[in-house]
Amino acid sequence: MEKMTIHLRVWRQAGPNAPGRLVPYTVENVIPDMSFLEMLDVLNEELIAKGEDPVAFDSDCREGICGTCGLVINGIPHGPDRGATVCQLHMRRYKHGDTITIEPWRARAFPLIKDLVVDRSAFDRLIQASGYTSINVGGAPDANAVLIPKDKAERSMDAAACIGCGACVAACKNASAILFVSAKVAHLGMLPQGQVEHKHRVVKMIDRMDDLGFGSCSNEGECEAVCPKEIKLANIAYLNRSYLTARFFGGL
Amino acid sequence: MATLWRAVSSSVGTKVVIALSGLALFAYLILHLIGNLFIFLGPAALNGWGHTLISNPLVVPAEIGLLLIFLIHVYKAALNWWDNRHARPTSYAEKKWAHHTSRKNVGSTTMIWTGALILLFVAIHVSAFKYGAFYEPPAWEPGVRDLYGLVVHTFLNPLWAGFYVACLVLAGVHLRHGIASSFQSLGADGPRFTPAIMLIGYLLAVVIAAGFAFIPVWVYFRLG
Repeated sequence: MEKMTIHLRVWRQAGPNAPGRLVPYTVENVIPDMSFLEMLDVLNEELIAKGEDPVAFDSDCREGICGTCGLVINGIPHGPDRGATVCQLHMRRYKHGDTITIEPWRARAFPLIKDLVVDRSAFDRLIQASGYTSINVGGAPDANAVLIPKDKAERSMDAAACIGCGACVAACKNASAILFVSAKVAHLGMLPQGQVEHKHRVVKMIDRMDDLGFGSCSNEGECEAVCPKEIKLANIAYLNRSYLTARFFGGL
Repeated sequence: MATLWRAVSSSVGTKVVIALSGLALFAYLILHLIGNLFIFLGPAALNGWGHTLISNPLVVPAEIGLLLIFLIHVYKAALNWWDNRHARPTSYAEKKWAHHTSRKNVGSTTMIWTGALILLFVAIHVSAFKYGAFYEPPAWEPGVRDLYGLVVHTFLNPLWAGFYVACLVLAGVHLRHGIASSFQSLGADGPRFTPAIMLIGYLLAVVIAAGFAFIPVWVYFRLG
């Protein structure tokens, strides 16, 4: 199998307040079948062998379902592939001799921890604000006891696909978390079980989003374009409608 | 009242206020453009239209309302831009447009700058025309301001004509994002009608910019 040489420019930063910079590296013997993260693993093995500090980056499931990995690759969050996370990106996308710039998510609400790792617990704060339903579970309900129209179920399910990776924030010129919030609001709000808290949820999550230092929606849709789960911009419109209804007719 | 204030101060509310005021200003532009078309019917038609407008007792309240809407739009947009600047303290070394389904365009990336230039243009425009030189009316129209003469005299100067065309291109770029984006802010987005909103917003931006810009071009080349 043909092996490639890949040049990297990686954001290195020792800690939250340390100065950071792009550091050039060259990785030899990259196999096209490697995933992007495996290529970084190879780089880190080499750095460790040389006694240097390996590049810190997040990853977990490496199959695109957990939302842990997230890098801005050549200026696009999660890299060039659509509907895919960094771990689903493969080196066959690149040619021998390519230079790839790798940066972390950048947002005030996502403070940098080290190198390419950022603290995304702001998303947890958003979920804590009201991204949940309170249901007394009791015994198992009968199947189809609560009827849900097919289209509502599908829209809810599509929104529920959000893995909370934060690429929407990273892509947005205003570092807005509104696609994430709208996914939660649509996921829960489309279903009868989510109705009890719906109007409170919308208002509380937007208030929390503003407090956490995220920006406002630009309506550009860069978030939708980079989202590995292809969460639709229509959810944001649904969120806006819900917010206005809650504020002006919901007594909030 | 406190609720209303909280609602319009939030990030979603801010965008709604910008959208509503923007759409109101856009509606005004359509009326303004329709009024401008009287120029093609000759001096009597344009001057008569101007006189009818200015003689209406409602014109002053309407102007104050329009100014308020304009100021709210500018204030909210500037505040929004300022807040958003702080949402990303460290910028990317390399950032590209995502393309794909993204609606990002030249207009959407430059809204605050095209907006600032339009603000400047509006100030110049109002002082040049509304509060501009008073041309004595021709003998057959006593008491009527000769707007037609003012327009023709202004746009026979290539610098004025060129300046107007340039500013109207900027306005078109601003509207290219503004019209369609307003509907998104107000919560109208769906797979069936969003492509239509995007297309109509784009076309209306072109129509508005080209419609207004046609007048200085026409005056300069046909009456010059």
